[in-house]
Amino acid sequence: MAALQAAFLNEIEKLFKKRKVSVALIISFLVIIAGQLVILGVRSGFGLRGVSSQEFPILVLSIVANSILPLFTALVTFDCFSSEFNHNIIRITLTRPVSRLKIFAAKVAAIYSFIITNLLLLLLLSTLAGFLFNVNSLTLASWSKILLAYLASSFPLLILSLLLVLLANIIKNSITVFFVSVILFLVLKAAGVFFSQYSGLLLTTYLDWYKLWLANFLPWDKILRQFCLMIGYGIMLFTAGFYLFDKKDY
Amino acid sequence: MTSSYRAIEIKNLTKLYANGRGINDLNLEISQGEVFGFLGPNGAGKTTAMKAMTGLIRPDRGEVKIFGHSIIDQYELAMSQVGCLIETAESYPFLSAWDNLKLHARYYPNVDAKRIEEVLGLTGLLKYKDEKPRRFSLGMKQRLGLAAAILSRPKVLILDEPLNGLDVEGMIEMRNLIKYLAENEHTTFFISSHLIHDVELTCTRVGVIYNGTLLSVDTMENILQNFATLENYFVSEVERNGRTSSSIPQ
Repeated sequence: MAALQAAFLNEIEKLFKKRKVSVALIISFLVIIAGQLVILGVRSGFGLRGVSSQEFPILVLSIVANSILPLFTALVTFDCFSSEFNHNIIRITLTRPVSRLKIFAAKVAAIYSFIITNLLLLLLLSTLAGFLFNVNSLTLASWSKILLAYLASSFPLLILSLLLVLLANIIKNSITVFFVSVILFLVLKAAGVFFSQYSGLLLTTYLDWYKLWLANFLPWDKILRQFCLMIGYGIMLFTAGFYLFDKKDY
Repeated sequence: MTSSYRAIEIKNLTKLYANGRGINDLNLEISQGEVFGFLGPNGAGKTTAMKAMTGLIRPDRGEVKIFGHSIIDQYELAMSQVGCLIETAESYPFLSAWDNLKLHARYYPNVDAKRIEEVLGLTGLLKYKDEKPRRFSLGMKQRLGLAAAILSRPKVLILDEPLNGLDVEGMIEMRNLIKYLAENEHTTFFISSHLIHDVELTCTRVGVIYNGTLLSVDTMENILQNFATLENYFVSEVERNGRTSSSIPQ
């Protein structure tokens, strides 16, 4: 357990001391500012109400859940795996008294920590922006629901990151793996539109899982069914990713 | 010799790559406190053997034990006694020298800030501790790699070309450090180096590997009784094997 804890703390420290993560967090902040400016423009230009302080964090989540969040998750995932493979710095960790399973688990946990941090930062900033610039209708109960939606959206992003981890362990070059991932993401998104009857099986569909948590009466059967499917994908992707990570020569 | 005094045991270690290179049926025992020099021409299999000894690659056959712990089945236990520097001294370029060592220190409960200062002092990096390795020269990176290898006071040090990139002063310092650790802390060394004169001055026993096969193992004392220099012994062993190989009809 001590080795796993050490590996996790190291991964976190490495992750948050890199410029990429700071840039990702700054861009998240800029997205909120830009979103708020658009709302203000619509309100003053067209005389429309725009959104309330309650709706603004949800509006932000609906935009970032299918755009910058998967993108940042991909960047961080490839930084944790492909980048370390390419520069041989993975050997630094591999030659310490810690098993490959613990290293792999620590890396995945660090990526999830980044996802949660990014989401909570977005929630905090969008709530603040909503308070300052929009019609104030936010209550503690509605904010709790929003918090739940933000936390829920972290789970499909984790599953997506496990798919990216698998790709990073298959494709050696970090640039190639990034472009393959972007293309795969777009293909899965398009498949969800053109073959909507099978969209329930596509990983990218679950990025909208948070919407289920915003309903007045939670559709537990649907939430549970999608959760079970994601767990299934998660187990398979984690196992396949670890198998390749473990068998690799460094 | 009882098993407890055997620092390193290598049995039938085999790892062959697709190009036919690698190591074949390597058998070796190294006692505690020995400074073992591993000599061989380029591509002979030195680094492959060292990578298999530190778990960076999985052997096709055979096993390696460090103080009785299998590197395959008891990785954490085996590596808790090992410090190593394989191929190139890797470090995280975005972290300072101090932070790099702090990351390593997390895996060892007995390593504290004082020990980090100590190894930085021993390797002559104390005044550069706040600088990032991306600005380091090759020699300074090598010193940082050595600092990381000795940080945990390991009982076994596996060093692949440890003097790479060091200036004359640095080489003398490293030689003295190796001798000091072997004599005073009974650290066992497994060193590969192309600087044959340094091996002669530092090692107590030498093994010659050629084409992936261990040709001979002898003490430095015996070698220097029969040959004028270690270089003469090495050339004689390699040439003898080379003639044998070339005399076999293809």
